[in-house]
Formats: sequence, structure tokens, C-alpha cells
Amino acid sequence: MNGRSLLSGLAAALLSVSLLAGCGGTKAVPSATTPTPAPAQQGKEQVVNLYSARNYPVDTVLYEEFTKQTGIKVNVVQGKAEELIERLKREGESTPADLFVTVDGGVLNNAKEAGVLQPMTSATIEQNVPKELRDKDNAWIGLSTRARVIAYSKERVKPEQLSTYEALADAQWKGKVLVRSSTSLYNQSLVAAMVDTNGEAAVETWAKGLVANFARKPEGGDRDQVKAIAAGVGDVAIMNTYYYGQMMVSKDPEEVKAAEKVALFFPNQKTTGTHINISGAGLTKHSKNKANAIKLVEFLTGEAAQAKVAAENFEFPVNAKAQKPEVLKSWGEFKIQHIDWAKLGTNNKKALELMTKAAWQ
Amino acid sequence: MAERAKLSRAIKKHTNGWLFIGLVGAAVILLPLFPIILSLFKAPNENWQHITKYLLANYLINSLQLVVLTGFFTVLLGVSLAWLVAAYDFPLRRFFRWALLLPLAVPPYIAAYTYSTMFSYTGIVQKTLRTFDITPNPKWFGVMSMRGAVFIFTLFLFPYVYLIARSFFERQSGSYIENAMLLGRGQGAIFFRVALPLARPAIFGGLALVVFEVLGDYGVTSYYGVHTISTAIFQTWFGMYDVDSAIRLAAYLMIGTVGLFLVERWARRNRRFSSSTSKMRPLAPRRLRGGWCWAAVLFCGGVFAWSFLFPVMQLGVWASWTFDSVFTPAFGELIRRSVSLALLATVIIMFAATVVANLHRTSATPFTAALSRWVTAGYSVPGAIVAIGVLACFISLDRQLAPLYAALGMGTAPLVLSMSLVMLVVAYVVRFMATGYNAIEAGFERVGTKFMEVSRTLGFGITRTFFLVDLPMIKGAVFSGIVLTFVEIVKELPLALLLRPFNFETLATRAYQYASDEKIHEAAIPSLLIIGVSMVAVYVLNQVGKEAKE
Repeated sequence: MNGRSLLSGLAAALLSVSLLAGCGGTKAVPSATTPTPAPAQQGKEQVVNLYSARNYPVDTVLYEEFTKQTGIKVNVVQGKAEELIERLKREGESTPADLFVTVDGGVLNNAKEAGVLQPMTSATIEQNVPKELRDKDNAWIGLSTRARVIAYSKERVKPEQLSTYEALADAQWKGKVLVRSSTSLYNQSLVAAMVDTNGEAAVETWAKGLVANFARKPEGGDRDQVKAIAAGVGDVAIMNTYYYGQMMVSKDPEEVKAAEKVALFFPNQKTTGTHINISGAGLTKHSKNKANAIKLVEFLTGEAAQAKVAAENFEFPVNAKAQKPEVLKSWGEFKIQHIDWAKLGTNNKKALELMTKAAWQ
Repeated sequence: MAERAKLSRAIKKHTNGWLFIGLVGAAVILLPLFPIILSLFKAPNENWQHITKYLLANYLINSLQLVVLTGFFTVLLGVSLAWLVAAYDFPLRRFFRWALLLPLAVPPYIAAYTYSTMFSYTGIVQKTLRTFDITPNPKWFGVMSMRGAVFIFTLFLFPYVYLIARSFFERQSGSYIENAMLLGRGQGAIFFRVALPLARPAIFGGLALVVFEVLGDYGVTSYYGVHTISTAIFQTWFGMYDVDSAIRLAAYLMIGTVGLFLVERWARRNRRFSSSTSKMRPLAPRRLRGGWCWAAVLFCGGVFAWSFLFPVMQLGVWASWTFDSVFTPAFGELIRRSVSLALLATVIIMFAATVVANLHRTSATPFTAALSRWVTAGYSVPGAIVAIGVLACFISLDRQLAPLYAALGMGTAPLVLSMSLVMLVVAYVVRFMATGYNAIEAGFERVGTKFMEVSRTLGFGITRTFFLVDLPMIKGAVFSGIVLTFVEIVKELPLALLLRPFNFETLATRAYQYASDEKIHEAAIPSLLIIGVSMVAVYVLNQVGKEAKE
């Protein structure tokens, strides 16, 4: 053995030992100390720490308002939901986060299943938010909802032609259906809910039929589907309600014009109800500022905050007493799909499998 | 006894401060990548079959297609522009020389949103056509596709190839080209037979960055509906909630890309690309005349317009629409944070990159060769995966340090390091070693080892040789590396998103906050600020380069 390769070998061995020591045992290392939640001391700055995957600009305004009212400072790390859950999981009991906020019932349930949340109890919250818009153990509380509806061309489609999501797979829509990619969580949740109501086999056939009706390969976001209707690429699109509301007040007059060529149809009114999804907040299992966290959720589900989110973001408030903006009122009341939110999470994998099998890109 | 003496001599011969610093640096960089590789040794779970059956086959083909097409076009564009600017003189040449670097300042995913909106039904192109009563088939404008993704990546990544190739042509190839001319070679033959083969290491250095960036991208491809390996990784993680399989996929991706470039290095192992003379004569540009001159201006101008001017003007219009609702004085603070964070990380990266590159050069063993490839591996997988690796290491480190924290009265089991910017800075170093390293390596390849060997023979140590002999000769490469790295970090999103402490925002995370919710008009102001900051960096590089020349 010559000196060089010996040295290389030595160095490699050294390196791998140090690597193993540093990273190999990440998951196995138990925390030596038991956590003692720091009691809120007098004079210490009151805070509540958020890991949030909800990126509404209005949220920042609401947090500032909350601080003004209560003196509790709101600290935020914004990120993507699954990444933040992973961070919570890895931080374990040392996590500084008190609340996990995200959009999508499936993801909220996933956080619960991952064991990073705990129930929160508050009479105010229970008053503000109806039971069906909360987790059954109150591991998370709904903050706002949105419906996934069918947008259609006012010129080329009569609303009488529309009925259900299921009917979009009918031959009459061949080459006319627009929808974004199966990577979109909105689509995954819609399909996950359908797996629950219609069963796996039916959804598989439906997904194949829908893909056969696509006007083009899925691309872009929800707003892009509306533009594609306006441009005549397709006639009907699956989209979230609030994007339509936002387009109507866009700073770009062309976007407003495009949205005006399109109307919304709330499907499945005579059957299972229109699919809605939810954004919500969950108390983290190892929260150190539990009381403050609950206070913030009480504030966010209160009338004033709810009305503000509805007005700025065109989502439906969870608090029935909250004032709704004109656009939301114009859509009227509609029958919503009642589904166990946990199903969105547990069915998500199945949904994704069915979609990829159907070549829904 | 003899064996022992031999061994101690061998250790003495190869052990020095450089090796020590290099190994420590490499260990820090490789540590977070280790859990990713480790995932390959765990048994795959029940999702793996679905992934390999439905996701992988198609997405692998898409990834290959995307990489090959983008690689081809970036080299075509980058090398031809570099050659044009270096070897010829034409009006506006001095402007284009640095302006063609500016596309680097535009984050590709912002460019993707901007172009798709510009070409959409409500965008400026179709709108203008409509005012002339022309209603084009909207399918002509389908940028959201494979060709659209290739278009975006080519336009906004070609400067990697351009920068490294240009500095090679300008500084290195003068004497060869003049000799070729004296020997009666035509212009075409000089380029294809002399300049291009000599520039191979430089071109591959730039190309490697392009390939890494394309493979690791999720922003552009997911928005354009192009399903690549990255899509598979995130489908597995976000859709199937299976982070282990996602990391496993990333491990394959990482091994594949690093392996690819090891093969490239191996293929040219016996060739030397360094100069044989200490007088490195810069290339004297030939003046272009007539039609060729106009063609050169149009070509450079066209590329500049599409890869910078048009999208930036469009962002400017959107910024004016949303200025009142989006702009706050707090942006000043965001700029300060983004810049100081990027500067700090860049300094560390350049230091580590120089040490490892010099180590590899001075003691070229298979070990240092592999080490030098692996320290750049963080660039070959999606940022979010690197983020998980870094997070895992820091949380584990914090756990180890818990007794120390407790002794300092910081409470029981708090996360100190992983709640600080240290974690983010280390993550930047892990991820962006490649931009710094590849630039420096290209510089070293050009210089070769002769000067160093002479200096060592004359009795200078490695360190003195490095500062007195090597560093002045690779100065240009170091500046290129600094700017490439700085600009990358200012644009960076996934690491900043996941690893930042509370309330810490950068320009990129602010842009994301809007863009993720399809609010592209609102994202214009932070995007323009990212571009502005990066522009300043590119401009400074140009000025420093000029001074170095004079």
C-alpha cells in the first residue's frame, strides 16, 4: 500500500466516523431532559409563535391588530405546509412553534396524524366556528373555506348543461375541460373527497374520462384556466372560488375582462354538494405559549377578523356572523359537501395514485 | 520499522493546514448530505413500487429531455455569445459584454410567471394583437410546456456558460488563436478546432451549473406542468406524505448527477488544458464590418431583450400597478438583510471552495478528486431536500449542546442554533459550493500546476505559493465565483423558506408570498428588487474585472 492511498483511506475513515457521529443518529438521539413548559412569567414579553403555510397578505395585518389589542407579539415563519410539518416533527418537544396554520383539510389532518398537534379547548372558539368546520378532536380549527367549482364560458355554455363534477367526464365535454395539474393540492383533495363519496372504482373511471376530455395538457394555476376559457381554449374549468373574486378586482383590466366572460357554477347541488376546502390552525403538541395561541385563534375566528379575510381574499368566513363582501353574497347560499376532513388526508395518497394512473399530469 | 518510517513520511508529505481545513470544511458540507445518501440503505416502503411504476419512468424521460435540450441551447447561446464578445469588435460590444450577464439576476421561476402572463390571453402580446383585430390561435402562445421550460431555462441560465467561457476566451486563448491564424486557418476552423476544444473544461464547468439547476428546479417545472424527477420527489412528499421515499429519490438524483460529472472528468483525465507560457496574451478582438457587424449587434441585442429587457419592463409595469398596496419602507430592511446574508455566505463559500480546489490540485489523489465532486453535490438536488438534511443536523447538534445551553441558563432543551441564522448560512454553503467551486476550478485548470511547482521547488510553502503565485493568476475566476454565488443566494428560495428564524424575511420569500397565491402583479416589486441587487453585483464584477485588466 503506498502512502497516498493509505492516507486517502485514513482520511475517508475519519470523515465517515465524524459524519456518523453527527448525523447518523439523528432520530435515535432521545432528548436527555424532560420539557417543562416555561410558565408565563410576569414582565416577560408575551409571544405566540407560528409556523404558517397560509401566505395571505391580510394575515400580517390581522397579526398586527392582535398585538395592538392584546400586547402579545406574533412571530411567524412562513413556509410550505409539508416542510413545516417535517420541521415540527424533527424539532419534537423542543419546538418553539405554538400554532401551525395551513390551507387544506388533508394537510391539517396529516399534521394531526403526524402527532404534532394537540386539542385546543375554548368556549369562544366553539361559539365562533361550527362543529363541521373543526377537527372532531379540535386538533385544528377552521379559519376560512373556499369552494372548488366549475367555471364556464358565458358565451358557449348554458348553466343548464352543467350538473356535477362527475358529469364533466361525459362525452359532450370532449376537448373542452380545463384543469390544472394533479400536483395541485386542490385537485388532490377534490379527488380524495370523491373517493369517499363515490368509491375508488368509480373515481378511477371518472378520472380517465375527465383526462380524455381535457382541452390541453394541464398547466398553470387556477387563474390560467379562466384565461384559457376567455381565450377559447376550452369551455369549462375546475377552479377555486376566491381566485375568481380576485380576478374581478385585478389591477389588470384585461384580467377583469377575462373574468367577466366567465361565470361560476356550484356543482353537485342535487347530489353530494359542492366540494369545499378549508384553511385552519392547530395547536402544536409541545406549545410553550398555549394560552396565547388559543387567544390568537379566538381572535382570528372572531367576527371582525373573519370579515376582513372575506373582504380581502374572497374566501368564505367560518363564523356565520361575519359580514360577507358583495361578490360572495352574489354567489348565494349553496349546499356544501359534508365530509369527514380526516378522509381528505387518508384518501390523498389513493387520489394521487388514481390521478397518475389516469395520466392526469 | 521501515514501514512505519515510510508511513510517517507519507503523512508528513501530505498533511498540512490545507488538508486539515479542507477536510473540516468538506465534513461540514457533506454532513447534511449524508442523511440523504443514507436513505438508500434503508428498505423501501410500500409506496416505492407505485413511485417507480407510475412516476419515475415518465418523469425520468422528461428530466432527460429537459436537461439535454436546455444544456444544448445554453451551450450554443453561451459559447457563441462569449466568442462573439471576446474575439470580435462591434458597436455596443462593451455594453453587451456585461449586460449579457444580467439574465442571471432574474429568478427563473419569476421569469416563468412573467412570460406565461405576458403570453397569456390577458397578457400584452395577445392583447396588442386583439387591438388590431387579430385573434390568434391561443395554442401558438403555449409557453407553459416543455418547450416553454427549455425557453425559460436557456434564457435565464445561459450566462453561467457565457461567463466562464468568455473569461476563458479573453484571457487564455490569444496566443493559440494567433498561431492558428498565422498557420492560415479560417475563422470557423479557429473556433471549432482551437478555441472550442481548449475551452472544454470552462464550458463543462458552466454547463454543470445549468444541469444542476435544471434538475433541482421545482418552481418553473411545476408551474409549466412539466413533470420531472423533482416533481416526483415533491409528489411523493407533499402528495403521499412520504418524506422518506422523497429523500430516497433525491439520493438517486444526486448520485446520478454527480456521477455524470465524474465521468466527464474521467474522460478528460489525461489531457491538460493549462497554458505553457507565463505570458498570457489576451485576445485582440477583430473588427466586424458590414452585414456581419449588424448581425452581431442584432444577435446580442435580441438575446439581451428577451432574457432581460422585456421581462424586466413587464415587471416594471406591474410594479407601478401595485406600488401603493405592496410597497412599504420595510423593503429597505429586506434589502439590507438579503444582501448581508448573501455576502456572508458568499465569503464562506469562496474560502471553502478555494481551499478544497487547491487541495485537490496540490495533492491529486482519487480521494480529493471524489471529495471535490461531492462538495458540490448540494446543488444537484432540490433545495428543500438539502434543507431537510441541514435541519436534521442542526436539531441533532442542538440536542447535543443542550447541557451547555442549560448551564448558560437558557432553559431546558431549547433550539438555539436551529432557531438562528447560522443554520440558514450553513445551508447556503452546502447548497452553493458548486457555483464558487466550479468557477475557481476553471481558473486553476487554466493556470495548471507548473507555476506552483516552480514556486515550490524554489522553496515556497503551499500557503505562500498560493497567495503570491496562484491567487493573483486566478483573481478573475474568484470574482466570477463571488458574483455567481452572491446572485444565486439573493435569488434562493426553498432554503430561506424552511430554515429561517421567526419573522425573518428576504426579498425572495416576500416575492414567494405573493407568487405562491397567483398574485404575480404584487410579486413584481420584490422581484424587481432582487434583480436590482443582483444587477449591482454584476456591475461591480464588471468594474473590478476592468481594473484587473488595466
